[in-house]
Amino acid sequence: MKELNVEALARVEGDGGITVTLDGKKVKSVTLDVHEGPRLIEQLVKGMTPADDLNVIPRICAICTLSHRYSAIRGLEKALGITPPEKTQLARELMMLGENVESNSLHTFLLALPDFLGYPSAIAMLNDYGDDVKRALRLKKYGNHVMAVTSGRIVHGENPILGGFGRYPSKKALEEIKLKAHELIPDAVRDVELFASLDYPTYPEAEMLFMSVNAPKKQYGFAGESILISNGKEMNVEDYKKLTNERVVSHSFAKRSLYQDKPFTVGANARMINMGKRLDGQAADLFKQHYNERWLKNPLMNNLAQAIEMLWSLEHIPDMADKVMALEDPKIEQPTRQTGSGTGAVEAPRGTLYHHYEVKDGLIDVADIITPTAQNLDDIERHMKLTAERMLAADKKDEEVRLGLEMVARAYDPCISCATHLVRLKRV
Amino acid sequence: MHKLRDAPGETEAGLKARLEGVAGKSKVYVLGLGNTDRADDGAGVLVAEALKKLFPSYSYSEHDGVEGTVLDISEKDGDIVVFFVDASELHAPPGTVRVIEKERIRETEITTHRVAVALMASMLEKAGKKAAVVGIQPGRIEFMGTVTAPVRAAIGTVTKSLANLMRAND
Repeated sequence: MKELNVEALARVEGDGGITVTLDGKKVKSVTLDVHEGPRLIEQLVKGMTPADDLNVIPRICAICTLSHRYSAIRGLEKALGITPPEKTQLARELMMLGENVESNSLHTFLLALPDFLGYPSAIAMLNDYGDDVKRALRLKKYGNHVMAVTSGRIVHGENPILGGFGRYPSKKALEEIKLKAHELIPDAVRDVELFASLDYPTYPEAEMLFMSVNAPKKQYGFAGESILISNGKEMNVEDYKKLTNERVVSHSFAKRSLYQDKPFTVGANARMINMGKRLDGQAADLFKQHYNERWLKNPLMNNLAQAIEMLWSLEHIPDMADKVMALEDPKIEQPTRQTGSGTGAVEAPRGTLYHHYEVKDGLIDVADIITPTAQNLDDIERHMKLTAERMLAADKKDEEVRLGLEMVARAYDPCISCATHLVRLKRV
Repeated sequence: MHKLRDAPGETEAGLKARLEGVAGKSKVYVLGLGNTDRADDGAGVLVAEALKKLFPSYSYSEHDGVEGTVLDISEKDGDIVVFFVDASELHAPPGTVRVIEKERIRETEITTHRVAVALMASMLEKAGKKAAVVGIQPGRIEFMGTVTAPVRAAIGTVTKSLANLMRAND
């Protein structure tokens, strides 16, 4: 028996590795081992007020900080009977567009692209692709700026609160982000063209099942009250446990998810497959141009999906900024009850993020958070196993197999730190 | 927290000499990194926040956006050095300070959450600027913990040394 290891998986967030166990040329197992320690956030917030919870929960993640905050807000507002005003909802959508640009620019260019171009890192790409790296950093800077304008800070902004915003972005700041978005759209178009021109290996290909939120009004978007499944079904977010069926595995601190005993994928490719027909603007044109059946079975296409989605987000920021500006600042809506439950679901850049709360007499009684990476882990392992089997059958060298496996894992844009928020380690 | 290869520690006088050696007569920018929610891990940000009061145009922290700040500095004219200040695993007692030049910064420090300091330093170098990391060994990095006494002292020493250099090279 032989083991092929990627001991420390580089260019992902958190501490993970890949182990392939081989019997001759036969692949016995492939595991994405999560070494990151448990974080116990759900227990930490028990007994806190909903307002305090909102200051703790986003600390799960420094890049999806607004997704965590927004998902928690949606769950808690339902639990407390709060209906947010229209301007609040629009400003929340705007902040999510900023986070999407920020995260997708970092992942596509600096984490995934070096593999496709044959470089060990973005640093090594600097001499030959310096302008592309700078373009990615300009986009990331802009995404960060939109997050700061809407939420108050680049990381862990506290403006979005239950029932409203502590402070809405100023007209001047909104005009600035509008102007800059228009400037950056050509950069995002070039990014889509670059990612469309890449050679996506076929090794991981297999039929896949995709899930994403169903954005309201038949539009593309990052939040919703129901979940679309690529098999044509749709379920209310309150049934999130039936969709995710979390379980613990021995080799990982992160929980796993299965839907009807099968792995599934969440993320930009899932959003495109479930809601791609709702895209508009240049993003829609480029999606139509580059979408094909391989998207339905190749997880590497998530990189191209993220590039198209980043363009869509940039194209929508000016319109969303206009809508926010057009409305007067409303008063903050207050809770109508102190006991209740509710589930929020938003699309973090790397997939659907659930926050479920049960509030009793004004305090958090139960918190349950299911992250996109925890949902994706089983499918990552499935596609890595196929990749290992097919590459070994094609007599690929160990180093090539390692890279092939890393490309699959990285394509999912995993956040291992997020995925390990709560698993108890039990040794027997 | 930044992970660095082993390097010798600095005394206060040694730190002054090392900073001056890297900077020469260049205009000094400071970019403080870290997570202030995690006790000593936020040492770099605390240094930058203290320096902001004295040199607001030359001091930045993680909260200002690392990549954007570096991008802006790389496009400025003139002789410039950027010191990234960060809690660093130096395998030394808490509060130990070391200056690590670009060549010694590990390149694998790029994650979903943060662009590698090595990439930032390489970009600056390509634009004709200099860069180095000022690493501070943390003692405690637990969530919601408080900054330990040796690291608090190191934050004071690094702030003072950088402020003197920024003043001299202004």
